[in-house]
Amino acid sequence: MIRLENVTVSYGSRVILDAIDLEIPTGKTMVILGESGSGKTTILKCVLGTLHPVSGRVLANGQDISRLSDEELLRFRQRMGMVFQEGALFDSLTVGENVAFWLWEHTQLSDAEVETRVRTLLRFVGLESSIDSKPSDLSGGMRRRVAIARAMAAEDPAFMLYDEPTTGLDPFTSKSICDLMRRVQREFTTTNIVVTHDLTDAYRVGDLFTFIKDAKVIATGSRQEIERSTDPFIKTFLSLES
Amino acid sequence: MIDPIELALGILGTIQSFTLMVARAFRYLVVHFRFRESLLEMDRLGVGSIPIVFLANLFAGLDMALQFSVVMAPYGATNLLGKVVATSVIRDMGPVLASLVMSARVTAGITSELGMMSTTQQIEALMVMGVDPVDRLVAPKILAGMIMLPVLSVVGDFLGVVAGLAVAMFGAHVPAPLYWSGVRTALTAPNLVNGIAKPFVFGFILVSIGCFYGLRTTGGAQGVGRSTTKAVVYAAIWILVANFLISKLLIDIWGWKL
Repeated sequence: MIRLENVTVSYGSRVILDAIDLEIPTGKTMVILGESGSGKTTILKCVLGTLHPVSGRVLANGQDISRLSDEELLRFRQRMGMVFQEGALFDSLTVGENVAFWLWEHTQLSDAEVETRVRTLLRFVGLESSIDSKPSDLSGGMRRRVAIARAMAAEDPAFMLYDEPTTGLDPFTSKSICDLMRRVQREFTTTNIVVTHDLTDAYRVGDLFTFIKDAKVIATGSRQEIERSTDPFIKTFLSLES
Repeated sequence: MIDPIELALGILGTIQSFTLMVARAFRYLVVHFRFRESLLEMDRLGVGSIPIVFLANLFAGLDMALQFSVVMAPYGATNLLGKVVATSVIRDMGPVLASLVMSARVTAGITSELGMMSTTQQIEALMVMGVDPVDRLVAPKILAGMIMLPVLSVVGDFLGVVAGLAVAMFGAHVPAPLYWSGVRTALTAPNLVNGIAKPFVFGFILVSIGCFYGLRTTGGAQGVGRSTTKAVVYAAIWILVANFLISKLLIDIWGWKL
């Protein structure tokens, strides 16, 4: 479970998140929706521990992330997978090397064992044939798939975070990425946070939905609860997206 | 208008961040040494720089011998050309020139590489994967710089001295044995320590500054360009500052011996 308690983040006088509370139950996917610049990605950064809130707590399976030392954070992140907006693949490495990177860094597996695991993961995302390609040779959708495979390289990823995973992709590719995200959640029982502004994709992958506006959480709940909301911003957002 | 207090705090903050990065890099070199990555960096930083460092030293040696022979000829002192050229090349020109040429190639290369990684979230991805970028990217580069620059500098010094011989023989009509005997008298402990200590420190400066500004890059392609310019300029300035300080320190230790 991931829980944010009264989390406030600010840069100088600018408040990015204002005393927000969120709870993502184990094995569920929370989709965070809102306008660009509303602080959605900041929530991911708090959960990753790359940004420390000025007040409040971020708990992952009961552990307070904001109190961990740098080394404890590095260890904690080994059970976390993150898919960045453009994939953030290491462009000096091949697709296979990108996926193998975590295994090289954190395990004592032999080269043959690493290759077997890399091939399994790439097969899972449908890209085994691209194992020797460079990220620059791949399309946007393929890069996101590799990023998902890389994020799952840990034997037992507990948390998966997705930052705008379908931005800039065509509708078919977006759907295939959403299907893949669902598969990951089903097969690995991961707790997921997805940041997006695309409602169609949000409905495809989400169990729970949160709307952020002006640094605050204005609504959280299931699809039905969100759709019943009387908040003018949510109503406008839903009507524009549909 | 610039607030002087804010400016001072900014400078102090930069010095603090730089010191922390360097301290972490040296700690990783001790507790988590990456042999393979260090070798790869030595190949990239050092072997890749051989042609430009050698060319720069070759022409510096030619030019220095030419200028010194013009100055020394009226006094009939061209028989000292070997000693003078070798001393200047080993003590100062060789290390400084190699470092400045390397800073144009290596510092710029490192800053733009790490800068691009920062702006495309690759650095963040490393951290998320439980890997400290200082451990994986900075420490091996700093070690490679500190090892490869002295090596390149020593070989570059030799080339500079050999280039000086050509001018001495064909321009100033100094016999080769006389030139070489002058060179031999320049191979003293103070000169050799100068010739090794300086590039060792310069290697650290040009790589660590490149890494520091690379990792701090924000703002896309324009930000990468800005960081790269800043890193190259600061590296060049700090190389010249360090050159003076090391010269002063070694002269204080050894006195005015050549």
